[in-house]
Amino acid sequence: MNDEVNQEVIVARGVKRTYSDNGVPVEAVRGIDLIITRGEFTAIVGPSGSGKTTFLNLISGLDPVSEGEVRLNGKKLSAMSGRELSDFRRDNIGFIFQAYNLIPVLTVEENIEYIMLLQGLSRQERHQRVEKILAEVKLEGYADRLPNKLSGGQRQRVAVARAMVSHPSIILADEPTANLDSKTGAELLDMMRNLNQTTGMTFVFSTHDEMIMERAERLIVLKDGLISSDETRQ
Amino acid sequence: MLTFKIAFRNIFRQKRRTFLTILTMFGGFTLAAISIGWADGTYNNIINIFTRNQLGHIQIHHKGYLDRPTLYKTITDYEALGATIENIKNVEAWTPRIFSAGLVSVGDKTAGVRIIGIDPVRENNTTLFNPKIIDGKPFSDTAAFEAILGKGLAKILKAKVGDKAVIVSQGADGSIANDRYTIVGLIDCGDEISNQTSFYLHIDDASELLVLSGRIHEMVIVVDHLDHVAEATEEIQKSIDNPELDVAPWQVVAKSFYRAMQADKKGSWISLFVIILIVAVGVLNTVLMTVLERTREYGVLRAIGTGPGQIFRLVIYEVAIMAVISVIVGTALSLLSLHLLSIYGIPFPDNGFEYGGVVFTHGYAEINLISILAPTIAVVLSAMLVSIFPAVRAARIAPARAMRMH
Repeated sequence: MNDEVNQEVIVARGVKRTYSDNGVPVEAVRGIDLIITRGEFTAIVGPSGSGKTTFLNLISGLDPVSEGEVRLNGKKLSAMSGRELSDFRRDNIGFIFQAYNLIPVLTVEENIEYIMLLQGLSRQERHQRVEKILAEVKLEGYADRLPNKLSGGQRQRVAVARAMVSHPSIILADEPTANLDSKTGAELLDMMRNLNQTTGMTFVFSTHDEMIMERAERLIVLKDGLISSDETRQ
Repeated sequence: MLTFKIAFRNIFRQKRRTFLTILTMFGGFTLAAISIGWADGTYNNIINIFTRNQLGHIQIHHKGYLDRPTLYKTITDYEALGATIENIKNVEAWTPRIFSAGLVSVGDKTAGVRIIGIDPVRENNTTLFNPKIIDGKPFSDTAAFEAILGKGLAKILKAKVGDKAVIVSQGADGSIANDRYTIVGLIDCGDEISNQTSFYLHIDDASELLVLSGRIHEMVIVVDHLDHVAEATEEIQKSIDNPELDVAPWQVVAKSFYRAMQADKKGSWISLFVIILIVAVGVLNTVLMTVLERTREYGVLRAIGTGPGQIFRLVIYEVAIMAVISVIVGTALSLLSLHLLSIYGIPFPDNGFEYGGVVFTHGYAEINLISILAPTIAVVLSAMLVSIFPAVRAARIAPARAMRMH
C-alpha cells in the first residue's frame, strides 16, 4: 500500500476552478479526481475550453483551486505560501510551454542552467549537466546562442532541456508541439518519450496533437471541465 | 548575480526607451548639478567680492559697538591683538579702523562726513583699498595729514585733488577736534551713500584728531576661503578670550545681505525639486510600461521557480543600472561644464548689477561636492522610489494569469 502511495506523483481530489468573467462566474474545472503515478506518459486532451490548461495550472500550483485539493509528491499545494510554491515548483516540476517562454536575454546555456542557479548548484555541476542535456536534445554547439537565433524546434528543445536538467519528478507540457511542424514535433516527442523511459520522469501533456495522443500511455479526455474518459494503453 | 545579469541585458532590449530614460535622468542630473554649482558659485562670488571690498569676513568690536556705535567703545592695544590673530589658521590679513562723524569744509562748501581712519598698507592688503582710488594717489605709508574723499563727497564740496579740507569733530577727551588735510585722492566706494559721506584719513592722523591714543573701533579680518569663516571666528574667539570684545562673522555684521543670499539659495533648491519631480515622473512611466510589457515573462519566471524577491530586484536593478549610467555620464558633463563656467563665467545682462555697493558683471560657477552629491542622491533615490510600486506589482504577479497575457 505504502509503495502505491509513494508512486502517486499527482493527486487531485474534487478539484474545481471558478473564474469571474466580468462578474459572471465561469466554472473552468468542475470537479476532477485524478491520480497520476511515477513515470507515466499521460496526455490530457479535449476541445478548446474543456479546461486542459486550467487543470495543468491547478496541478502545478500556478493557479489556486477554488475547491478540492491537489497533492504533488505528497505535498498539499494549497497549504504552501507563494514563496514555498515557487521553491516547490523549482525543485519538483519542469515546465514546457507552447510558446517556449525562454528568457530572451539569456543564451541557450544560461537558459538551461537558470533553474540550477536558483537551486544553488555549483558551477561545475551546472556545466556538466548542461553539456549532457545539450547532447541529449541534440543541441551541441548552440550553447552560446540567444533564443532569437534558433528555429522553433530548437527553442522547444531548449525548453525541454531547461525543464529536465534540474531532475524534477514531473514534467508538465502545455501544447508543446502546437507551434512546430509535424516532423519537428514528432522528433521532439520521440526525444521526450525516450527521456521518460530512461529517467523515469512523469510527463503530463495538455494537447490537441494526435501525435502526442498516439504516443501517450494514458489518455485523459476532458469535456466541459470534467473527465469524460480515462484510458490506459500499453 | 543572475538577476543582475538579466537586468543588465534587459536594458538593451528596448534601446530607444532605455536611451530616453537615461536621457531623462542624465538631463535632470546635469541640470541640477549645473544649477547648484552655478548658484553656489555666483553667490559665493558675490559674497566674496562683497566681503573683500569692505566688510571683511570677520570683524572685532568692543562689546555692543555694532548695536550702538560710539567714539568711546574702543579696542585697545590692537597691534597685540593683530599679532595673535595673524597666527590663527586660515587668517590671511587684518586691518584696524577708526570711525567718527564730523563736518568738513573745502573752500566755502561744508558737508557732514563719516571719518574713517585706516592703516593704508593693511587696508589695501585686506580690502583692496588702492584700486578703488579713481583720482590722485593712495595714502603715504606714514601719517602726513592726507585725506581721501568719496567721489560723491568731492562733488558736494566741489573739491579736487590737491585742495585743503578742514574738519571739525569731537575728540574722545571731550575737546573740539579740528585740523587741516590735503586731499590726495578720490575713491569710488561702490555705493552712493558711502561715496557722499566717506572721508578717509591715515589711522595715525585720525587717532590724533580724535584723541584716541592708539585705540580703534573696528578690526577687519579676511580668511583664505569663505568656508573657513566659521572655524576661524571660533578660533579667534578662543585665542583672544576677552569678554569685552565681540567677534562676529560677516553673516552677523551684514545680516540683511546674508538673509538675501540665503533666500536666493533656497530658490535654487526649489528648482532642483522641480527637476527631480520631472525625472521621477519620466522614470515611473518607463518602468510601468516595461513591467506591463514583460508581465508574461515575469509570469514564466515565477512559474519556473523564481521568487517574488528576485522579480522585485530584477525591476529595481534595471532602473538602478540606468540611474548609475546617467549619474556617471552626467557627472562627467557637469564637471566639464562647471569647470568652464568657473573659468569664463557668463556675463550678466545690461552690464551686470549692483549689490551692496559692488557691481557684478559676470556670474561664475563653482565645482563643489554638493553640486554632484545632491543630484546623485536625488536622481538615484527618486528613480528607486518610483520603481518600488512597479517592482512590487511585478513581484506579486499571478503566474497563470500573467502567462495568459500577450
